[in-house]
Amino acid sequence: MSVFSLAEREREAALASELAALTERHRQACPPYRRILDAIAARPPYERLVELPWLPVRLFKTHELRSVREDQVFRVLTSSGTTGQQPSRVYLDREAAAAQTRMLAATLREVLGERRLPMLIVDSRSVVRDPTLSARGAGVLGMMNFGRDHTFVLDDQGGVDAEAVEAFLARHGSERFLVFGFTFMVWLHLRGLGADLSQGVLIHSGGWKRLAEQAVDNAEFRRRLAAECGLSRIHNFYGMVEQIGTVFLEGPEGDGLYCPDFADVVIRDPESWQEAAVGEPGLIEVVSTLPTSYPGHVLLTEDLGVVRGVDDGHWPGKRFEVLGRLPRAEARGCSDTMGQG
Amino acid sequence: MLDDPKLDVRFPAGAHVPVEELLGELGGGLDVGDERVREFLSAFGRRLLRPALARRHPELGSLGFFLRPSELARTLEGLGTEHVRVPRGLVFHIPPANVDTVFVYSWALSALMGNRNIVRLSPRSGAVAEVILDTLHEALTDADPVIAATQRIVSYGRSDGITAALSAACDLRVVWGGDGTVREMRRHPLAPHARDLVFPDRSSFAVVRAAAWLCAPRAARVTVAEGFVNDTYWFDQAACSSPRTVFWVGAEGDCDAARADFCEHVARVVTVRGWGVDAAMAVEKRVSTYGLAADGLAESIEFRGNALANVTLAAAATAPRQWLGAGTFAHARLGSLAELVMLVERRDQTMTHFGFAKDELERLARELAGRGVDRMVPVGSALSFHRVWDGFDLPAEFTRLVTVIK
Repeated sequence: MSVFSLAEREREAALASELAALTERHRQACPPYRRILDAIAARPPYERLVELPWLPVRLFKTHELRSVREDQVFRVLTSSGTTGQQPSRVYLDREAAAAQTRMLAATLREVLGERRLPMLIVDSRSVVRDPTLSARGAGVLGMMNFGRDHTFVLDDQGGVDAEAVEAFLARHGSERFLVFGFTFMVWLHLRGLGADLSQGVLIHSGGWKRLAEQAVDNAEFRRRLAAECGLSRIHNFYGMVEQIGTVFLEGPEGDGLYCPDFADVVIRDPESWQEAAVGEPGLIEVVSTLPTSYPGHVLLTEDLGVVRGVDDGHWPGKRFEVLGRLPRAEARGCSDTMGQG
Repeated sequence: MLDDPKLDVRFPAGAHVPVEELLGELGGGLDVGDERVREFLSAFGRRLLRPALARRHPELGSLGFFLRPSELARTLEGLGTEHVRVPRGLVFHIPPANVDTVFVYSWALSALMGNRNIVRLSPRSGAVAEVILDTLHEALTDADPVIAATQRIVSYGRSDGITAALSAACDLRVVWGGDGTVREMRRHPLAPHARDLVFPDRSSFAVVRAAAWLCAPRAARVTVAEGFVNDTYWFDQAACSSPRTVFWVGAEGDCDAARADFCEHVARVVTVRGWGVDAAMAVEKRVSTYGLAADGLAESIEFRGNALANVTLAAAATAPRQWLGAGTFAHARLGSLAELVMLVERRDQTMTHFGFAKDELERLARELAGRGVDRMVPVGSALSFHRVWDGFDLPAEFTRLVTVIK
């Protein structure tokens, strides 16, 4: 069954009541969350998505927010924060952990099909071996569940391992296979391979900042990969550890990111905090029914985005674009002399 | 940044030199209150007060005011003693990177006391620092050559070598900019006779007598609200002397009414002045205030647009000391001024006040007995630099006394 089936109206109706119920459940089960809701006087009914109280995603870096007892925590996920910052901590019980794995699989099945595909990873094996697993390493490791015969494009020194790629393509190049990597790594290493990847399905993520610096946008990215290695099935995705299992997946035509049925986005004007109109940029709020063990079901991110259209694309629902990260607030304080030098 | 063993001399504008060369060329020969320094500083201050400049950068107006000849004379008058006052020698200043005017206050007082000075200006310093440097150069044209021979403002990136050499060479090291910087600098030893003058992380609060607020004429309340907004929004409330918590003193009903009226006035000033905050700051304020609520410190949070946020503390004892973002105020009630004695911490620096008599404040200062609070100034004066700062009499710190008995 497809997880890209609900038109916006049905989706909103289904999600609003489920998320309102989750809000009350977390209010009961997570005292710090309850204290926040009390302090901002957030009360039901929440009839529309936009009326749900949101948490700034950074609170998961500064506070322990969980709605299950400590002995029910099955897994604690952490993100590598930027330098000097605490990582986010996300607490999953068995049920939430199972749901996130299941729903991530259901989302990716949409573009990968039912069977595990042979998998080419645009990275080096060392990123998943490092005992202090980086966000990149964790991302690769997570995605490896969806492939088989994992082959790394880069050797441990970070150079292209042309032999390994050739051997992989000799084995699998004529059938459908999965290619995964971080956007910038893909751009850097895949184009020069001189290999025929036309049977590949590329899944990539990780931000556009470094590519934007080289004046490469998504359209150019897709055009060049198609022209230079035959990759025409390309899906960018947007997701975060604080809403693990929820990925917003780019449609086949590259016309935006789509929300699976159990999730949605609200773009908020950071001045009025009201929902921004289609085409108006604002802060991205992500909502998902998967966070049942921690109050991460309605999160305000520090990413800017814009809704490009509603129920008008390859899949139903909102179609949106991530425009980049909001720069962190910096104050002109007295306590900063040497700083970053 | 690479460890470059050379530094850029920015005043008097010059070369890219190794630290030994910088130290070698620095001459002496100034007296405490040297006439040639006074002339130079007055000329520099006059230029800062030019209307166009002061309009564009109001903080330069305050600085120019501080450097008026009469102010300089007053600074020197306070130093009378039976001993002979002499300069300390070579003073090495490390000012904060992002409050552009601090380096001038610190350096000007030290120069006035006859010291040779090396000021380390951060390579990240802002536009105002450039204006200041240009203005210093203008004033230098007519100045006695002794100024150029004795004063240096330099920039260098992260270089332990240079910091170590300057630390070893100086007689007094002045470190502004917080606990981290102070710890960092203390890794570099001073000469045995030399000493540090440090300005670590501080935090500040305001205290208002509710009954006095309620009785004050409207015009007075407007003026105080304007002063409060200046105290807090000018440096995004991150200056060490900008208040973060407002304590309301009085009966509960009075405090609630006074606070409500005060917040109305502040909101109006913020709107009229057009103070806004950008999206990043707006998010920052949500993160910090929601965090206070999560920790059980905030009973309620109220946002008036993005520019003004009011937090009601669950208890006065948990007043936050950390920066919460521009225009974020914690409020708590006290039965009497004396209750502050239990609440004040060593890091509390400036107490801005409204509605208290001088003897009440002096009594509080004595009761605090040095456990915290170095300045008690009226609301609106939090950012006004004074030669006595953080509890130090700076002109005195910048000099030594020679005992002469006949």
